[in-house]
Amino acid sequence: MKIALTSTGKEWSSEIDARFGRTEFIFVYDEEADSVEIIDNSAVKNEAHGAGSATAQKMYEIKPDVLITGNGPGETAAKALQKLEMKIFVDAHNLTIKEAYEKYKKGELKQL
Amino acid sequence: MKEIVVLSGKGGTGKTSISASLAILAQQEAIIADCDVDAANLHILLEANFDESKIFYSGELAEIDQELCTKCGLCSEVCQFDAIPFHNGEYKVKMLSCEGCAYCEKVCPSEAINMHKRKSGELYISEIKSNTKMVHAKLDIGADNSGKLVAEVKNRAKEIAKKENKKYVIVDGSPGIGCPVVSSLSGANYVVLVTEPTVSGLHDLERLHAVIKRFRTRSSCIINKYDINEDMSQKIERFLESEDITLLSKVPYDVNFAKAMSEAKTVVEYEIPIKQTIIDTWEKIKSEIN
Repeated sequence: MKIALTSTGKEWSSEIDARFGRTEFIFVYDEEADSVEIIDNSAVKNEAHGAGSATAQKMYEIKPDVLITGNGPGETAAKALQKLEMKIFVDAHNLTIKEAYEKYKKGELKQL
Repeated sequence: MKEIVVLSGKGGTGKTSISASLAILAQQEAIIADCDVDAANLHILLEANFDESKIFYSGELAEIDQELCTKCGLCSEVCQFDAIPFHNGEYKVKMLSCEGCAYCEKVCPSEAINMHKRKSGELYISEIKSNTKMVHAKLDIGADNSGKLVAEVKNRAKEIAKKENKKYVIVDGSPGIGCPVVSSLSGANYVVLVTEPTVSGLHDLERLHAVIKRFRTRSSCIINKYDINEDMSQKIERFLESEDITLLSKVPYDVNFAKAMSEAKTVVEYEIPIKQTIIDTWEKIKSEIN
């Protein structure tokens, strides 16, 4: 399974970014390969408008099986993401990437 | 640290007056952020001193190098915004019309057009009269508020709040339901809605609530001037109940709101009955959030 998490930093100890569209980084963990890929989202963050759909576009490139985030995605982004066969888990803000991943594994995160 | 966002959907409900009052009551426990950048005025009520400033860039602007320009007019032809008129023997970009799409740059055969970062305003960090800090911004003429600017104002406020160990960030949110509002909401812990008992007050509240629901942020509501139309106030109360939004308080119409405003003060700086209503509201917000 490929897990994408919206993150404020590049480490397992970084906090989840509550925001989907304007997330600082996308932390991608590939469970099978046990590898981590960090995607810098600063280009999207600097868009004046339409951050949600731009980050949704990135999800199409990453094609994760699971997305873990905080508040978002908002309406437009959520519509775009529907086309991806991806499970979305929310309300993971105030957790670290590691904590959020562990909670997800235990089935303790809220699915959208 | 908890982020409280004050929103209204409709203008004129008293959002900024109430945000400023909450800011005064929170004293040094909060950092204040004014994300109502289109019509920023919280800084007046809180006596901001514009201590630090930083230029804010958003979007791009085309510029034509007249030395390289061969006056072929292709840029002017393709521009969808009529932003490149021929005037006094030169093609020149009209700053207010240029959308920064870069079509002209792409088609220019002599590479005379370059895109530049567009300055859209300034961001400030100020000391305010309640002995804390506030982050706010001022837009240039013709520039518009954006999700990016709101995110930047909020991020600065949150950084300061974390560094100085503050309990709250109080955000005076943007109007409407568009991009800046979504950005105001994103990452927030608690929403305070300010409405008034009018048809458009309820309509805009419903619209805004639909956006907030998306983010599952806990929300509450203040019905300001509730006694100018008690039937409508009851309608709003029923709506709040059906949507599980906490009714924080019903504030009666009070001419002191306007008086305080004309003296650039908040209502909680006067010894008047309404002061206690706002104090109770703030206490309720704190107990709900913690």
